[in-house]
Amino acid sequence: MYPIWEVPHLTAGMVIGLIATFHILPSHLSTGAMWLNVWFERKAYQENRPELLDFVKRYSKLLLIFAYVFGSLSGVGIWFATTVAAPRAISGLIHNYVWGWAAEWCFFMIEVAGIYVYVYTFDKVDRKTHLNIGWVFAFASWTTMIIIVGILTFMLTPGVWPQTGKFFDGFFNQTYWPQLLMRTSAMFAIAGAWAVLVASRLKDERARASVVRTASLWGLGGLALAGVFLLWYRAVLPPPAQADLAALLRPGLKTGLIVPPALTALYFAFLGARPRAASFWPGLLAIVMIFAGIFSFERTRELIRKPYVIPGYMFSNQIIGNDLPAKGISSELPKINAEGILKFDPFVPPELREVTDANRLRAGRMIALIECSSCHSLETGGIRPLPVFIKRLGAASPDDVSTVIDSLGAMPFMPGFSGTDAEKKALAAYLASIAK
Amino acid sequence: MDVVTMLKGMTDPMGIPFYPIAFEVLGVLTFALHILLVNVSLGAVALAVYGRLKGGARWERLSGAMAKAGTAAVSGAIVVGVAPLLFVQVLYDPFWYASNVLSAAWVIGFVFVMMLGYGSLYVFYFGKTKSSSAWGVLSFSCFLLAGAIMHVLNYQMLLPERWAGWYEKLGGAVVSGTTLHAFSLPRFLHFIVPSFAVGGVFLLLYSWYFAARPDFDADYLGWTARLGARLAFWATAAEALVGVWWLVAIPKDLHFTSDPVFLLAAALGVVLLALLWRLSRDPRPQRLALHAAGGVFAVVLAMAAAREVLRRLYVGRFGYTVREHPVHLDLGSTALFLGTFVLGVSVLSWLLAVAFQSGRVAGAWEAGPRMRAWGKLSLGLLAAWIVLVAGFGVFVTLRNGGF
Ligand code: HEC
Ligand code: HEM
Repeated sequence: MYPIWEVPHLTAGMVIGLIATFHILPSHLSTGAMWLNVWFERKAYQENRPELLDFVKRYSKLLLIFAYVFGSLSGVGIWFATTVAAPRAISGLIHNYVWGWAAEWCFFMIEVAGIYVYVYTFDKVDRKTHLNIGWVFAFASWTTMIIIVGILTFMLTPGVWPQTGKFFDGFFNQTYWPQLLMRTSAMFAIAGAWAVLVASRLKDERARASVVRTASLWGLGGLALAGVFLLWYRAVLPPPAQADLAALLRPGLKTGLIVPPALTALYFAFLGARPRAASFWPGLLAIVMIFAGIFSFERTRELIRKPYVIPGYMFSNQIIGNDLPAKGISSELPKINAEGILKFDPFVPPELREVTDANRLRAGRMIALIECSSCHSLETGGIRPLPVFIKRLGAASPDDVSTVIDSLGAMPFMPGFSGTDAEKKALAAYLASIAK
Repeated sequence: MDVVTMLKGMTDPMGIPFYPIAFEVLGVLTFALHILLVNVSLGAVALAVYGRLKGGARWERLSGAMAKAGTAAVSGAIVVGVAPLLFVQVLYDPFWYASNVLSAAWVIGFVFVMMLGYGSLYVFYFGKTKSSSAWGVLSFSCFLLAGAIMHVLNYQMLLPERWAGWYEKLGGAVVSGTTLHAFSLPRFLHFIVPSFAVGGVFLLLYSWYFAARPDFDADYLGWTARLGARLAFWATAAEALVGVWWLVAIPKDLHFTSDPVFLLAAALGVVLLALLWRLSRDPRPQRLALHAAGGVFAVVLAMAAAREVLRRLYVGRFGYTVREHPVHLDLGSTALFLGTFVLGVSVLSWLLAVAFQSGRVAGAWEAGPRMRAWGKLSLGLLAAWIVLVAGFGVFVTLRNGGF
């Protein structure tokens, strides 16, 4: 176990969520944009339409600056956020998937070099070579998605990995293909939306119309296919995830999954028919809409993993809750229940290791920080605030709260409490005190 | 709980897919590249800001070139930094994570500091006016702060005996992560001062590279080379002093000064200093630009290895070694990495070769038949990678129960 980082109201997990969602915009732009770019560059050369190159240049500058300033840094940001919010979880992933990430890094290197060479050698190197650079970038950036989707889907559906412990058994799992295809489709939609935005600023009417028409058709097609693959993805979700979905998918989130992408699709359809109507602010709004859709999807994906960060292995509060014979790992629950979480976690201050009358509330708070704060705010506001929840359940006395604590594990989305009886009482006393 | 038991309990039980030495070598190699690019970035941005403030035709021209190079170098430093970030977590997980969580707010802040620094570097670059120098100063300061945070994380991890004290306060735990707990000024400076030496060598390379271009004025290039050589020498001399200071600050009981890797690195440093001294008095130092660059690379690589040795010594105080994790050999994923690495080097070299060759001629550049074939091969390799991995994926999926 590691020290705890508590983010009041927001929870540390939400910090990961916010950075990760932001990251989707530049990262999917980066994987998708170059396909559109080489398409227009080739068209410009073949049909001798230099005005299209004006678009290609602007669009690749956007890619260079936006994706490689904010995209690469927010990618590093996700990593840092997981490091401080869930160190044991990211550690488990890294120790399994280090070679996957190392391979992905090789493609990052190609991408970064590729985008600079592409942008700075326009009109400098011959056309064939320049297109070749574009294609290399497009392929290399899509391969990063091929890799990362394996690791992302592993966190929900580890396939037969819990039995074999082998890299590829977890990597190519039942949600891998639908999610790869869905993200691939979505990346064309995102690239299309950015392209509309860039094209809306072009002076040349004809270039603007051609780019907007093509980009919105790519966008529409991408969204439609992403919708189809989303249904496939939903259909192959394992029963625990389905149960979470039934319990936790609130109307707001559901609306967020459907309405913004649908509106964006309508906008793309409209532009496909009347490309000259493209302008900057509606274009920007379309990107905001896509952002809302992605945020809803990523939130949902996060919800349906609960109570695990690595299913069949580690809970969201980073306690190892299952045996993993393939790696020679045993569940930590027996030990925690026997000796207590406050003794098990080496970072608990010495004075709190044993619950006493004098330290009961502080020990209870420590337990809440360790076992609950990854999903719950301990304040009266914010994400899933425990004081509010306890009050809502009408649990007023420590004894009432103890009964609630006993029932946690029965809910599909929460790990049960682990620790000694004295620790449970301390947690109950603390929770009752903050629910007043 | 004593530190040894604590560390044992914290080490990830998952094991690692290959022998630890592989991750250690990759960690040292990629860290050396990372810190070199960090130094190029800081050096280039510093020269760019100085040049714009100073004004005059030569300085303004140099400033523009350095600002552009700076933007690319920062991208490089970031992307190369990802690799040591990965490998440090594989081998030193208890140390790295504890250090990070204890200063969590700064870890998150690091990302935004970098965004601000990088964003303002572009504003500075596009700005072109003297008043926009402020953006360059802001950018440089942000990068320095980012480096300081990185340094703290790397230093705190070496002091596990102090973690518990940092974490507890008044009968509770400090869970806000808003404090930076340990800072070693000589160690920090040892990584930052070389920016000026590397910046100087970068100027030598700049002068050497563009000497082939008829549209570049020889006076200007000669001036940059002499400036670079002087800068490189004086900064390296300062770095040697900082090195001694750091050495004095390192706990004696680690016996770092008698370590052969360190002695080799120090000896190489002295050779480099002698070479740079000669260059600083040479009227045409760009002749030896490649020697200087090779020397800098060798010293940085050896110093990175010495830094790893030092880390081993620090964690060794508590019986921890890089062989702490059980090895569960996973040849499939090891092969995936090796194959991708070879592909990556080949494709990356092509891209860099295109950039190198095309930049060296004035006006348009046409790829020869070999470059053209290499380009096609690069694309073919990428396509083959996708087909192979997807094909293998379909095979694994079918074997494990189908779609
Ligand atoms: C894996 C994340 C996770 C962890 C860890 C977790 N919870 Fe929860 N908890 C949830 C979710 C999700 C909900 C449902 C929230 C909702 O309905 O929106 C929930 C709901 C609750 C509720 C309300 C139940 C109801 O019937 O309305 C209580 C009380 C609660 N949690 C207490 C705790 C306590 C105490 C801990 C620590 C011992 C804890 N939780 C740890 C995720 C978690
Ligand atoms: C321009 C901004 C940056 C500067 C100035 C900088 C500077 C430094 C310095 C000085 C160190 C050595 C610290 C020490 O050992 O005491 C270091 C190490 C490191 N940096 Fe950076 N860095 C920067 C950006 C980044 C970024 C963006 C990343 C992540 C992608 C990163 C990842 C790392 C890692 C992982 C190490 C430790 C390597 C190891 O322990 O082997 N750095 N950096």
